[in-house]
Amino acid sequence: MSTVLHTHQAAPAAATGGPAKSRSAVADAGNRGRWWRFTLILAVTAVVLIPIMVTVALAFTPGANSTATGGFTLENFSTVFEKTLVGTWLQNSLITTLTTVLVSVAVAAPAGYVLSRGRGKLVSGYSLLLFVIQSLPIITSVVPLFILFAGMGLVDNLVGITIIYVGSTMSVATWMMAAYFDSIPISLEEASWIDGCSVFGSFTRVVLRNSLPGILSTAIFSFLLAWNDYLVAVVFLRSNETFTLPMGVQTFFQQNATDWGSVMAVALVMMIPPVLVFAGLNKYFSVGGIGGSLAGQ
Amino acid sequence: MTTTTRSLARARKGVGPGGASGPAGTARKQSTLSRQTGRTFAFLILPSVLLLLLINGYPLIYAGIQALHNGNLLDTGAFVGLDNFSSVLSSEPFWKAARFTLVFTLVGVFGSWLIGLALALVLRTKIPANGLFKVLLLLPWVVPIVVSSTAWNWLTATPTSPVPALFNALGLGTPLFLADPTLAAITVCLFKVWISFPFMMMMISSALASVDNTVYEASSMDGASKWQQFTQITLPLISRSTYISWILMTIFCVNDFPTIYLLTGGGPVDATTSLVVLAYRMVFQNFQTGPGVAIAFLMTMTLVIVSVVLYRQIRKSSTE
Amino acid sequence: MTIKSALSTSAFSRRGFLGVAAAAASVPLLAACGGGSASQGAGGTIKFWDMPWGPPAYSDLAKKLTESYVPTGSLGKASYQTIQWNNFYQTFSSAIASKTGPALSTGGGFQAFQFAEQGQIAYADNVISKLKQNGQYNDFLPGTIESQNTDKGYVAVPWSQGPRVVWYRKSLLDRAGVAVPTDWKSWLEAGKALKGIGVSAFGIGAGAGNVFGNQNLLSMMINNGGGLFNEDGRPDVVTDRNIEAMEFVREMVSLGLIDPGAVSYTLDNLSSQWKDKKIGMGWYAPGLPESTGDTSGDLQVASPLAGPHGDKGTVNYIGSIMMYKNTPSQEGSEAFLLWYLGQLKEFWKQDVVGLLPVQQSIVDLPEFQKNKQNVQIIKEWQSVGKPFGTKSPRLFGSLAAVDGGQALSQFAQTMLGARADAKTALTDLQKGIESVTK
Repeated sequence: MSTVLHTHQAAPAAATGGPAKSRSAVADAGNRGRWWRFTLILAVTAVVLIPIMVTVALAFTPGANSTATGGFTLENFSTVFEKTLVGTWLQNSLITTLTTVLVSVAVAAPAGYVLSRGRGKLVSGYSLLLFVIQSLPIITSVVPLFILFAGMGLVDNLVGITIIYVGSTMSVATWMMAAYFDSIPISLEEASWIDGCSVFGSFTRVVLRNSLPGILSTAIFSFLLAWNDYLVAVVFLRSNETFTLPMGVQTFFQQNATDWGSVMAVALVMMIPPVLVFAGLNKYFSVGGIGGSLAGQ
Repeated sequence: MTTTTRSLARARKGVGPGGASGPAGTARKQSTLSRQTGRTFAFLILPSVLLLLLINGYPLIYAGIQALHNGNLLDTGAFVGLDNFSSVLSSEPFWKAARFTLVFTLVGVFGSWLIGLALALVLRTKIPANGLFKVLLLLPWVVPIVVSSTAWNWLTATPTSPVPALFNALGLGTPLFLADPTLAAITVCLFKVWISFPFMMMMISSALASVDNTVYEASSMDGASKWQQFTQITLPLISRSTYISWILMTIFCVNDFPTIYLLTGGGPVDATTSLVVLAYRMVFQNFQTGPGVAIAFLMTMTLVIVSVVLYRQIRKSSTE
Repeated sequence: MTIKSALSTSAFSRRGFLGVAAAAASVPLLAACGGGSASQGAGGTIKFWDMPWGPPAYSDLAKKLTESYVPTGSLGKASYQTIQWNNFYQTFSSAIASKTGPALSTGGGFQAFQFAEQGQIAYADNVISKLKQNGQYNDFLPGTIESQNTDKGYVAVPWSQGPRVVWYRKSLLDRAGVAVPTDWKSWLEAGKALKGIGVSAFGIGAGAGNVFGNQNLLSMMINNGGGLFNEDGRPDVVTDRNIEAMEFVREMVSLGLIDPGAVSYTLDNLSSQWKDKKIGMGWYAPGLPESTGDTSGDLQVASPLAGPHGDKGTVNYIGSIMMYKNTPSQEGSEAFLLWYLGQLKEFWKQDVVGLLPVQQSIVDLPEFQKNKQNVQIIKEWQSVGKPFGTKSPRLFGSLAAVDGGQALSQFAQTMLGARADAKTALTDLQKGIESVTK
């Protein structure tokens, strides 16, 4: 950790030539800095990923009762795919998670806009209330929610857990959106108001349009919360057919033994969609945002 | 910045579209447009309010009732007033857990922030395979904790595990990372930082994405060093985002159950028992719902106080 | 709200990021999935919830058996549901509180007593008297059915048992040049020899979620004629016999015969230590060879060891099937339970369960007799096994808060980490148990 910071401070110093330096010297220094940073980040990434490599290695290691010879096998995967409903679990996870993401963002973005732009006792009171609600640990709400939902037939059912996921992501999602909207200058909206846009119109057409990185961060947060949850799922989901992937993983934990090969194989399956999502969305993060509109002000 | 602040100040005074004037909430006649703003705001926030009441209101009230009773999960039990709170506050394990929660939270928040910030800054620059690193570095946050805790256990638990073996090879003895109370506390904190830094990195990256590169170019022209740019441009620009990410990470750390529970179970001998782990054990292992929920409420109250302080900071940072 | 969502949805999908359109299209699917769940049983169906007591084949067989049940007359059929161990108490409580719970279930060791005290259990007295009528009562091994009795009746019917027994690895004892210990004294001597070859003499672990730590220490106390409770069912931990037993454990810790890392070992750490031949001896549940995957015959059960005063003993956990008041028909529950007890032999015939049977007829099965270790456990350990609440004559609900609760796991960690002397640790344990059993 300290190494990272230290070199971060040192690296710019190396890269900074005086303004008087020739162009090529600056470019050279920049290039050297670039490879320096590359090596650094490569080292950091390698260390950070060690526990994950362990997971991957275990997923390909033959289990206790395996007939495989050697240290590598795809047996865990074939077992998991042949003997469990991992495909259904994956589908359930995708449906719940994507719905959660969609609804959370759709609810949190407008609310976050109000928290960002609105002022007054009501708004800050609501902001605090969101906070209080979020601060109460989920383990205290699972039982009362179960009793409430059982009455509505929302138990052992994906709709039920999706509603809870939306509820539990909403506070943070709203705050994240508000934080992002704060970085958007209000002058953009003022300009659109002058052009005759309504408040709502300028929110959807001007603010949202410029909030892609913020929306994506919020979406990713909600995605991971819903994707990885098992504290809610373990109480709400019963049947194999309604399990999400984290619940599916639980089925390999028996009383005195755990089938780690299968756990790790399902864990790998679980890691693929978020990784694809991140990889696919990556370029949107580097979009220049609204920087351009600030220029010259 | 100054334009933003001025505009925000104007917005606060209720200046609506079209530049109509008149402070809201006073006896003076409001313009139609600012009334429209109020209505639109109400309309925009309504879904969130409804969800909040539906999903979070009921459990909150339910938990409040449990905290004042001496019951279990199936039976409300007798009303005991604030007895649960006083017995919890006078118990030694509570304060021990509170101390650990504080350490765990401070390390979790600032450790992950520093690493996330450093990585976000490095990844913002042009380096080869930039995008790949961004994705790879998010993995600790992606892996299910039940899996990553096993990996961490496998790396550290026994004297022959890879990390103690490495220490041994370096002549540093054979530390038992999960068996020694101090080392276990350090390991749990590091585990939390490892899980959390990608979130910080993402928050900061997205805040940085809205910062215009020309600001840096201009200041380079003025002869500012990179360090000056960092402290005088970057940090102020992401300050609001930073405060919010601190608040969020504080909640995540204080409320974090699986990280601790799966790696150490709160042991050895309570060395890594945080308040939420203590509350969980009270409710689900000792079947003492009242005191357990009381702990959860005390946690919430503390969090609210901390957050109000931080929230003031946010306000300040946006009005300065 | 709907309008709002629709509006922002359309605004989002126009831009096409995040595959929003695809997600929106999945909403109807989601609703469709909700309807198709299997647990909304038809009226009259007897819901049976079971824990994963063995490999996946166990749950498959239990499900098959349950669904093959053909009720007589107008009684309901039965449905099967596996409940994951993770947070199972929460799962049962919330289901019972919302009247969506099972009619019958297996579960935690003292779950039946606990829910009985909360008024949720249908007592099994009728079933027991029917077992007496048809002669099956005598098929149950001594002490098993009686362990479920309370002042108000039988809270459940036993179906399995899991005494904690001493295992050893023969090849390691041979390598250390020692015979299989028969009492604590020879155990200590053998331990020193095992230490000489770098092997632990008392395999144990008290890390996250590992209950063997406290179960093994309790077995040591019971082995020495001690226990956690007195004859009146009150916590009585600080006794001479318990202190003596724990001082013996402390001696093993200080001599290095117990792994210093044991305090943090999870079940997986412990089981891989057994597998990797790092442990020469120690307490474990039945089925150690199967759960470590080492069925070569090297792992064997020792005969019960004699304590300093010649006592022998261990803790024995009885697994039971309980009936709940919330059932479509009590008669239906009882009929299913009686039938199911007759089917239990299938689990041992097909060798899919890690626990031991409680019926003599199952012990006598050739399939069971094949497993020499299990036969020896029934022969030698079953008779010296004592319930968890010993010396209390009856078990009771708050034992659930003691077994696997905070007080015992903290005690085990204190002992294994050598953080206090035996008496101090036991005094803390007494306080801890008192606070949850008042």
